[in-house]
Amino acid sequence: MPSWLGQAARRGLLTSRYPVAPATPAETPESARPPRPSGNSGVPVAAVDACPVRALEPSGVDDGKCIRCSRCLAHGLGYSGPVEASAATRDALVSRGSAPPLPAAKRAPLADFGRSVHVFLVDVGSCNACNLEVLALANPFYDTTRLGIFFTNSPRHADVLLVVGVPTEEMRAPLLRAFEAIPSPKAVVAAGVCPISGGVFAGNAGVLGPLSDVLPVDVFIPGCPPTPVNLIDGLLRAAGRSRPRGGA
Amino acid sequence: MTAAPWTVADRDPSPWETGPVAAYGARDGTLTLYNDYASGRAILWPGPAAGRASELVALWNRRGNAGRLRPVGPSEPVEGYGVFTFPYGPISMGVPESGRFDVRTYGERILEITPTAGFKDRGILAALVGRSVPDATLAIERVAGHLSAAHVSAFLAACESAEGRDVPTTELWVRALAQELQRIYNHVHVIARIAEAASQNVGLAQTHALAEEVLRLQAALFGHRWMFGGLVDGAALRKLGPRERDAAAATLRRLADQFEELWTLFLDSRTFVDRIQATCVVDRETALRWGAVGPTLRASGVPWDDRLRQAVPPYTDLYLELPKESDGDALSRVVVRAEEVRASFLLLEQLLSRWKGEIGGREPAAPPAAPGRGLARVEAPSGDLVYDVTVRDGTIRHVGMRTPSHANWPAFAVGLKGGVFTDFHFAYESFGFSFAETDG
Repeated sequence: MPSWLGQAARRGLLTSRYPVAPATPAETPESARPPRPSGNSGVPVAAVDACPVRALEPSGVDDGKCIRCSRCLAHGLGYSGPVEASAATRDALVSRGSAPPLPAAKRAPLADFGRSVHVFLVDVGSCNACNLEVLALANPFYDTTRLGIFFTNSPRHADVLLVVGVPTEEMRAPLLRAFEAIPSPKAVVAAGVCPISGGVFAGNAGVLGPLSDVLPVDVFIPGCPPTPVNLIDGLLRAAGRSRPRGGA
Repeated sequence: MTAAPWTVADRDPSPWETGPVAAYGARDGTLTLYNDYASGRAILWPGPAAGRASELVALWNRRGNAGRLRPVGPSEPVEGYGVFTFPYGPISMGVPESGRFDVRTYGERILEITPTAGFKDRGILAALVGRSVPDATLAIERVAGHLSAAHVSAFLAACESAEGRDVPTTELWVRALAQELQRIYNHVHVIARIAEAASQNVGLAQTHALAEEVLRLQAALFGHRWMFGGLVDGAALRKLGPRERDAAAATLRRLADQFEELWTLFLDSRTFVDRIQATCVVDRETALRWGAVGPTLRASGVPWDDRLRQAVPPYTDLYLELPKESDGDALSRVVVRAEEVRASFLLLEQLLSRWKGEIGGREPAAPPAAPGRGLARVEAPSGDLVYDVTVRDGTIRHVGMRTPSHANWPAFAVGLKGGVFTDFHFAYESFGFSFAETDG
C-alpha cells in the first residue's frame, strides 16, 4: 500500500550540506563554474576570438558576460573558476589571469538583515531557466529555508529584490514599482548574466541594457543560468553571510 | 532525399469542408502550413491563409500597436452590470513569469480572460538576421531555457533543410535524447506546479525532487543543467561512452519507478484530482477551432504527435504509444502528460539500449519548403513547435516561429470562460505555457 510518507521516508534525506560542507560534484556541474585559462598564462588569442559575447580578454575573464557556451574549452580554458563567484561590485567579476582580483571599491556595506532575508523575485525578461533555478531553491535538495532565505509573494514583505532576465523596455515601469514597494533597508540582487551585462541579448531591440543602469545593484551572481548553489552563495552574500570570493 | 513531412497543396486548403487547421503562417503570407486531422496529413500551401485560418495566423503573428504588448487570445468584450476588468500581472507570484491577464468579471466568475504578452520581448528573432547558424543557436537556446532542446532541434532541422545539409545520425539521436529528458522535466514540473496550487505539499516536494534529479542527469550528460551548448551545431558533442550510458539508464529506471509511485498517489489524492477535474474544459471542437496543439489537443481526443510523423531516425525506429483522453479538462491534460512521462522513460530506455558505440551514417535533410527556406517541426513538451528559417551563404536571413504557447493561448482563454478565480492556476499550469517563448 503506497503512502506519501512511506515513499518520502524511503527516499531518505536529500538535502544538501552546502554551505556548511563544500558543494558536491552533483551540485556543481561544469556550468556552475566560470572558465579560467589553464596554468598561469593569459587567455589565448584564439579563445578571445572564439568567444561570442566578448567575455574574454587577453588579460582575463569577465564572469559577468560568460554564457557558458563552452567554445573556449577548445582553446585552453576550462571550467575551473570558483563556485562562489558572486560579487558585490561589477568590477570584481572581472578576473585578471592568475593575479588576485583588484580590491573592491569602497562602498557602503549592505544593510543588516539579521542574517535572514525575504526575497521577492522579479523576471524582467528571462528565458525562464533562471526562474526555474530560483524555484529549485525550494526543492528538498536545496531547501533554502534552512539558511534563513525565504521567498515572499509580496514586495511589501521583502528585503531583497532578486532580478532575473535582461531588462526590457516593457518591464522597466513594473520593476521600478516593485523596487519602490520594498521597504528600506533593501538590497538588489542581479542573478544571471542577463541583468549583469545583457548576455547573449545585449544590444537587441527592446532591451534596456544592464540592470545597474536602472537600479542600484548590491550583489551580482554570474552564470547562465546560475545554478542553485551559485544562487545560495549570492543570496547569503546579500544576507551578510558570505565568504570571500574564491574561498572554499 | 527523405520524404517531405507534408504534401504541397495545389489549391488553398482553408475553405475545405473537413477543415484543415492552420499550424503555421508566415508573417509575409508566403506560406501556410495546415494540419489535416481527418487524414492525418500536414499540408503546405504556398500562399497566405484565408478564412478562419487567417484569424489564427493573425493572432499568432500579432504585433503590439504601441510598444510591444499584445493580447495573445481572442477578445470579445463582455459588458454587464458591475462588470469590470481585473488586471493580474505582469509581476505576480502565482505565475512566475512576467505577463498580464486581463480578467473581465463581476467579482467571482471569469467572464472573459485576455492574456497579454510582450513584457519579455527581447527582440530575439530580429537580432538573428545576419548571424551564422552556430551563433544564432546560442540565442535560440535562450528563447525558453526549459524548452531549449525542442527549440534548438527544430531550428537546426530548419537550417539543415534550408541549406540541404545532411546530418550525422548521432546528432539526431543526441537531439532526441535531450528532447525526451526535457519532456520528462517539463511534464513533472507541471504536475509539481499543480500540486503546489492544490496545497498537496508532500507531493510537491517529492515531484520537485524528481525534477531536480532530471536536471542533474542532464548536467551529467551534457555538462549543463539546461543542456545549453549541448546541441549547438559544430560544438563538440559529448561522447556518450558505455559507462555514462549505463549510469544514465540506471538513474532513469530509478526515476521511472519513483514517478510510477508518485503518480499512483496523486491519482488517489482527492485534493489533487478534485481541483483539476472539469476545470477549464477545452472540447474537441474548441481545440480544433482555436488551433490547440500537443497535450491540450490530445486531451481533447485528437491523436496528433509530431514524433510519429518524423521521417528520420531515431523516432522512426522507436516504439511510442499515444495516450488517449477526450474530456479536455485540466485533469485530462495532466493525465496525458503523466502518460507521456511514462512513454518518454520508455523511449529513453530504447534509445540508450540500442546505442551501441558510435552511431554511424548520415541522414539527408528534409526537402526545403522553398529555395533556401527550411520549415521544421518538433513535438515540444507542450506541443507542436514550428520554425521557418531562411538561410543564404551560411547566414540567417529570416526566422519565423510558432510555438506551442502561441497555439494554446486562445484555447486557454476560451476554456476558462465561466470558471472562477481559483481555477486560474490549475488551468494555466495544465497547458504548460511559457511567456518567454511567446515573446521571443
